[in-house]
Amino acid sequence: MFEINFGDTGEIVCRGRLDAAQSDKADAFMGNLSASCTADFEHLEYISSAGLAILLKTQKRLSESGAALKIINVNKHIYDIFRYSGFTAIFEIETL
Amino acid sequence: MPESSFTRDVEKLGEIYQFAEDVMSANDIDDSVRFPIHLALEELFVNLVTYNPGAQQDIRIDVEIVSQGVTVTITDHDAEDFDVTRDPGVDTSASLRERKPGGLGLHLIQHMVDSLEYDHRDGRSRIRFSKEAGSSDV
Repeated sequence: MFEINFGDTGEIVCRGRLDAAQSDKADAFMGNLSASCTADFEHLEYISSAGLAILLKTQKRLSESGAALKIINVNKHIYDIFRYSGFTAIFEIETL
Repeated sequence: MPESSFTRDVEKLGEIYQFAEDVMSANDIDDSVRFPIHLALEELFVNLVTYNPGAQQDIRIDVEIVSQGVTVTITDHDAEDFDVTRDPGVDTSASLRERKPGGLGLHLIQHMVDSLEYDHRDGRSRIRFSKEAGSSDV
């Protein structure tokens, strides 16, 4: 199960497991972003390389217009994934 | 040893997680082991499905509890030779402009499991990986 939508204050809210079976849903949502945005991962339990590819693709596209994706409320497991992937250097990330 | 076979479909990931989770839950396996086991299962299963598009046979997964850890064996009788232990060559220190999406799956597995073995003969690929509690910070 994976859900992605906008929260009450305009942030992106992700829930569940962002894996290869769900990455198309994330890709379609992220593909519509055109300005800087914050993604709240408090309820995201899991991410794999398929989800990382969507995040990286989004950040590269946003950076072309000076915008960026910030990720907040990241759990320990996902933060370790980000660290091993080098994402801590290319995203602003806040942990839980 | 618990084992199950899955059709070659990424939509089967949910059933694969549940199969592994049932075995790990029944044996009180630590959360620090479950996450990398799920990740490695997904990355390797998806690789086998994606890079062997003409293959028909189901992929077998064995989950074995060993002390405080888990050993998983993935057997595919319909796979091309692709050594998952080789360096995928991802430069994680590259700048955002230089980074390319994709290629992180094997890189992550190689960092997060304790051992990763690969064998291919007569069209059969066998991948075995293990993870024990407290063996790293993941």
